[in-house]
Amino acid sequence: MASLQARPSCGYSDGWRSLLTNPQSAAPGEPSTGAPLAVAVRGVTKVYRRGIEEVRAIDDVTFDIRRGEFLAITGHSGAGKTTLLQLIGAMDTPTSGSILINGHELADMQDSKLTRLRRDEIGFVFQHFGLLPTLTVAENVALPASFGGKRKPPDVKALLERVSLQHRMTHRPSELSGGEMQRVAIARALVNGPSLLLADEPTGNLDSGTSERIIDLLQSLNGDGLTVVVVTHNEALAAKSDRRLLLRDGKAEG
Amino acid sequence: MLGLAIRNLRRRPFRTGLTLAGLAVSTGLLTSLLAMSDGYQQGLRTELNRMGMQMMLVPLGCPYDAAARVLKGRDLNVTLPESALLDVRADAAVAVAAPMYTAAMPRPASGRTDLWMGIDDSTRELKSWWKFTPGSTWFTAPDTVILGADAAQTEMRKPGDLFYCPEAKKELRVCGVLERTGTSDDSLFFVPLATAQALFHQPNRLSGIAIRLKDPGETGAVAERLQKIKGAQVVTMAEMMGTFLNLLGAARSLVLSIAIVAIAVSLLSVFNTMMASVLERTRELGVLRALGLSRFRSFCLMAAEATLLGAVGGTLGIALAVVGGPFVERTVRPTVPLAPNHGLVPVTLVSAVYCLALSVIIGLGAGLYPAWRASRLRPAEAVREG
Repeated sequence: MASLQARPSCGYSDGWRSLLTNPQSAAPGEPSTGAPLAVAVRGVTKVYRRGIEEVRAIDDVTFDIRRGEFLAITGHSGAGKTTLLQLIGAMDTPTSGSILINGHELADMQDSKLTRLRRDEIGFVFQHFGLLPTLTVAENVALPASFGGKRKPPDVKALLERVSLQHRMTHRPSELSGGEMQRVAIARALVNGPSLLLADEPTGNLDSGTSERIIDLLQSLNGDGLTVVVVTHNEALAAKSDRRLLLRDGKAEG
Repeated sequence: MLGLAIRNLRRRPFRTGLTLAGLAVSTGLLTSLLAMSDGYQQGLRTELNRMGMQMMLVPLGCPYDAAARVLKGRDLNVTLPESALLDVRADAAVAVAAPMYTAAMPRPASGRTDLWMGIDDSTRELKSWWKFTPGSTWFTAPDTVILGADAAQTEMRKPGDLFYCPEAKKELRVCGVLERTGTSDDSLFFVPLATAQALFHQPNRLSGIAIRLKDPGETGAVAERLQKIKGAQVVTMAEMMGTFLNLLGAARSLVLSIAIVAIAVSLLSVFNTMMASVLERTRELGVLRALGLSRFRSFCLMAAEATLLGAVGGTLGIALAVVGGPFVERTVRPTVPLAPNHGLVPVTLVSAVYCLALSVIIGLGAGLYPAWRASRLRPAEAVREG
């Protein structure tokens, strides 16, 4: 059961998805009003097998994320934060329970649909940036747009202006600082116009000054209406979120 | 996608270079082999066609060896009686019967052996395509000689010059020089038949008789009739061609087996390169999948890299075959029976396209499994593994 130190960001709108009409859909302790749900996590468990040993990385977690919300998932190392983020991001499937993204039940979707969902609805930011070293900044940002689905070429320049890196368009990742690389990764995550931005330790490899800029950027994007979920150890980043979800040994704690 | 594939290959230039080198060598080998096969057949066909005959009458023995020796102007230790010529000419189906006596003339002072051929006027009729340099005439006297283009160049003689052969202790006048024919005629010394028979002490003996028929469609029937001439046997050009191609086939099988091994090695090399690439880029591929790259496109990306390796390696191989052709020809020529005088390893467009296609297929084939592996990566695991 999730313990949500809630700071609701938006008003609740009309009955949006079926899950909202389900009295079991909202987790106890969660604010009952707010924007439509962007993510609904219901009793999700993820079990890994390590040889003969079973590792319960996520253990019966339930919570909602509303549109336009800024959620920070915190917890110590090995608590299951990244696993949970990957489950929300349709990168992995839960052992049991269900996850709905913008009303789509992930368990019902085939790999091709999950891929389209990741491409069109979700933006990912990784701790290790995940930039392709052979591509320029502009090419890295434009890359997900080339995966299909978009007929119009992306406005890479505008995206890089948004992250204040328009002067670095033709540079390679190796010529950038860590903070710059992370901003490129954020611009890349935004290129297909997602409604949900997932960031896994986005400041984990950065110094405090650089982290500050990334936090400001994420907050600014959230201010523009983007739903943001970050996994972080960074207290300053967590403090800027609307809510925190604390994980301990795979369980959401209150 | 293609641009990304190219850049990925350029990431590891040494590894990519080694893989390309392997592909280039195997494709080059195969291209040379195919070119040699085509060149040999084409050259042999041209040379046999230029003989202007459908069959040869040669002394009993190995008919193909005898025919080859006569055709290439080499010494024969058995001969035909000149009476055989009358028998041949008596057959109504025969249009031209050109007697010849060939013999080797060792030239120890010059460190070479010249090939002399005694012919009569019927050879001129048989080889109507022969062209002579200005000032040339046909034999005007018994002690005259017509030089092939290479022979004239070696002897530095032109029509009208005297030519003394110390080995034969004979002075001859050069009455004509042939323009280059691209056949073995270029290296021959042609003298009147009677002169050759006298020079080599074989009066009234012949090495062979080249026969052109009025109707080539009667080859089988005429061969059967002429086969009855005592001490002689008939070899048709078609039989000779088949025999020589069979001889070449044995040599080609050996080289082909080497080429197959080389292809197998390059296939494994591409496979290894692509597997290494998938393994070391697992996280990157996981990130791409997380960002929305579909399994199919993931497969295509890796398959494109493998195919590019094949295409570039194949192109380099063909270039290698073109550049190294003369070297291969020099190496192979001495081992090939009745090697045609013209280019033996000409890389044709057809053989180049065939080999390039094969190389591309090798690249794609070797890349299929690694590409499939890449497409099956689960994004969450791949991102974690990197």
